[in-house]
Amino acid sequence: MDWTAVRLGRRGAVAVVAAAALGMSACSSSSGTSSTSAAAGGGLPATINVVSINPQTGPAAFAGLAANKGYDLAIKEINDSKFLGSTTLTLSKVDTKGDIKTAASSASTAIADKNVSAIFGSVSSQEAIAMSPLVQQAGLPTIYTQAGSDGVVVGDATYRATPLMRTYYSLVKKYVQEKGWKSVGIIHTAAAPTLVDIGTKALPAIATELGMTVTTTVAVQGTTQDFAAPISQVLASKPDGVAILLVGAQNPTAMKQLRQAGYTGDVLGNSGASAGNLKPAGADGAGMVWPVDFNFQQKAEASQKFVKAYQAANSGENPLNYAAEAYDAAWFLAKSIKAAGSADRAKIKTAMATVASEKFDGALGNGLTWKDRDIVVPGVMIRWDGTGDVLLYEGSAS
Amino acid sequence: MLQDLLGALGLASIYLLFALGMSLTWGTIDILNFSHGSIFMFSAFTAHLLIPYVPMGFVGVALVCIVVGALMSLLVQVVAFEQIIKRARNRNTAERQILIGGIGVAIIPLAIAQEVTKSNPFGFIDSGFEVTTWTFMGLRGTNILLITLTAAAALAVGTAMWLRRSRHGLALRSIGVDSEVSAMMGVDRRRLAIVTMAVSGGLAGLAACLFTYTLGAITPESGDTLLIKAFACIILGGVGSTGGVVLGSVLLAVTETIVLTRTSGLWVEAVAFGLIFLVLLVKPSGLFGRKEVRRT
Repeated sequence: MDWTAVRLGRRGAVAVVAAAALGMSACSSSSGTSSTSAAAGGGLPATINVVSINPQTGPAAFAGLAANKGYDLAIKEINDSKFLGSTTLTLSKVDTKGDIKTAASSASTAIADKNVSAIFGSVSSQEAIAMSPLVQQAGLPTIYTQAGSDGVVVGDATYRATPLMRTYYSLVKKYVQEKGWKSVGIIHTAAAPTLVDIGTKALPAIATELGMTVTTTVAVQGTTQDFAAPISQVLASKPDGVAILLVGAQNPTAMKQLRQAGYTGDVLGNSGASAGNLKPAGADGAGMVWPVDFNFQQKAEASQKFVKAYQAANSGENPLNYAAEAYDAAWFLAKSIKAAGSADRAKIKTAMATVASEKFDGALGNGLTWKDRDIVVPGVMIRWDGTGDVLLYEGSAS
Repeated sequence: MLQDLLGALGLASIYLLFALGMSLTWGTIDILNFSHGSIFMFSAFTAHLLIPYVPMGFVGVALVCIVVGALMSLLVQVVAFEQIIKRARNRNTAERQILIGGIGVAIIPLAIAQEVTKSNPFGFIDSGFEVTTWTFMGLRGTNILLITLTAAAALAVGTAMWLRRSRHGLALRSIGVDSEVSAMMGVDRRRLAIVTMAVSGGLAGLAACLFTYTLGAITPESGDTLLIKAFACIILGGVGSTGGVVLGSVLLAVTETIVLTRTSGLWVEAVAFGLIFLVLLVKPSGLFGRKEVRRT
C-alpha cells in the first residue's frame, strides 16, 4: 500500500500523481520513442526495454516458456559481452495466458509505453495475428517465434525467427526415397494452418515429385482425441507409408492407435511431435520421423555453442527449438539496435531490414538467411526411438 | 465396416461412461455439473503423478481415479453447490448459479494441471499394465477396448437398475420429479445429493482411467472436449433417462465414425451436431426424455 498517499489524503494524492505524471512526460518528451530516459541526441541510452508477450500459462505455455528461456540466455550474453557497449537490454515478460484479447491489449500497452523499443511476439498464431496489425501500424519492431500462420508477418515492423515449415519439409524426400515408399496416406489436423498447408500442398507436391501417390487424405478437427476412425480409413487405402500431421498432444495417441491398428512402418510427422510429446506413447511412438528447424544434437558450431550455454544456464537441460529460435531472435534484435545506434523504434526498424539482408550463424545453424522477413534454416531430420530424439541427417544451408 | 463399428462402440462407451455421471446428477438432483470434465481430467492426472512412486497396475490406477473423482465431486457439492442452493432465491436461480459455479470450480484443477504439465500430454506409462492387441475373425482390438465395452455396459445396466429398483433410486427419481413433494415424503435430499455426486465423480474417474489407457495420453484440456460431447449425448437421449444416454452416446459415436470414414473428416462435428439439432426439432425433450412439469 502507498502510505504516502494515505497520509496526504485524497487531494494530496492527486497532486502527487499529477506531479509524477508531469515528471514522466518531461522525461519521455526528451527521448521521443527511445528507452529509459537518456537517448537524447541519438546514441544508445543506458537501458533499452524489450517486452516478451507470450503465453506462460495455458495450452501453448510449453512453447512460450521455452522461448522466454532463449530470450533470457541471449540477453544475458548480449549484456555480459557488452555487445551494445554500456547499454543494457532489459526484458520484461507478459503472460498472455493463452488469451487473444490479453495478447492484443499487452501489445497496445507496449505500443503506448514509449520506453519500450521492441517486443518479442507470441508463439501462438491466433495471438500473433491479433498483435501484428497493432504493432505494424505503430511501427513497433516485433520479432515472433513459431506463429506460423499468414497474417503474422504483415509489414516492415514484423519478423519471424521460425522458418515456415514448408521451407524445410522437403528434407523428408531423402528419407522417403531410402524407405522406397511408392504411396502415402495422410492424416492432418484442420486446426493448424501450417499443417493444413503441409498435408494438402507441400507433401502431395513432394509425393508427385518423387513419383508417389497419395492414397487418401483425412482431416481431423483440433478437438479430435480418438483417431481410430481416420486411421482405419487411411490404412484401408493400403499406403506404403503414413504421414501424421497433428498438433503436440494428438501425436502420441495417433501413434498408439496406428500401432494398435496393425501398422508397423515408419511415420512422417512434424515438429509438433518434438519436445518429448511422444513419451506417453512409449514404444508405440518409435518410428515417427520429422524435419525440424533445430535439434540440440545438430553439429553446426554456432548451434553447439548455444546448446552448451543453454545447458549451463538451465541445469543441464537440452534446449528445444522454441528456445533456439528465441535466442536467434534476440540476437537479431541486438544486432539491429547496434546497427541503428539508437533505441528509436523507426531507426531499429530500418536497421532490421539491413541486418536481415546478411547471412549469419546462429543457434538454428550456419548460413541462416531471411526471406520476406521469415528466417530460412537448413533444418534437421529427427527420428523418435521410443525414448528420445535421434538425429538422422542435417540439411545444408542454401 | 465391422472394424469401424467396433471402434464406434469403443468411442460410444467412453462417451457413455463420462455422460452417465452427468446425466445422473442432472436428471435427479437437478445439478448440471460443468466441473465434471475437470474432475475427469484431474483424477487421471492424480494417478499419473502417483504412478512413479507406487506401482499400481490397472486395478490400482482405476481405484485411484474412481476415489479421486468421487472425492472431488463430493467436495464440489459440499463447498460450492450446497452453498449456492442454500442462498438462491428460487430453483431457477439456483440452477443458473450452479451452472456458472461449476464452470468456475472447473478452472482450479485445470489451472493446476496446466501449471504442472505445461499443457503437455500425460498418461500412465510404467503403471505396470500393458495395452495389448488381439485379432478375432479379422477384427482387431485391444484389451482396454474389451474392458471399456464391458464396464460401460455393466455400469449403464447397473445405474438403470439402481434408479429403478432400489429405495435410493426411487427416492432420487422422486426428487427429479418434484423435490418439494419428495421432501414432504421424508426423502433426505442433501444426503442423497452427496451420494449421487460421489457416484457421478467416481464414474468420471473410471472413464478417465479407461480413456487415458485407450488413447495413451490426455491433456489438461481433454475433459472440456468430452464435456461438450456428453452434453450432446444427454440432450439427444433425453435428460433423466439412462437408456437415453446410452442411445445418445451410441448415435453420436456411430455418426462421428461414419462421417470420419466416409468424408474428408472436416464434417464430423457439423453433421453430428446437426443431427442432434434435427432430433430436437422433432422431439425437444430428447429421444427418451420425459415431459417436464413444473408448478408455479
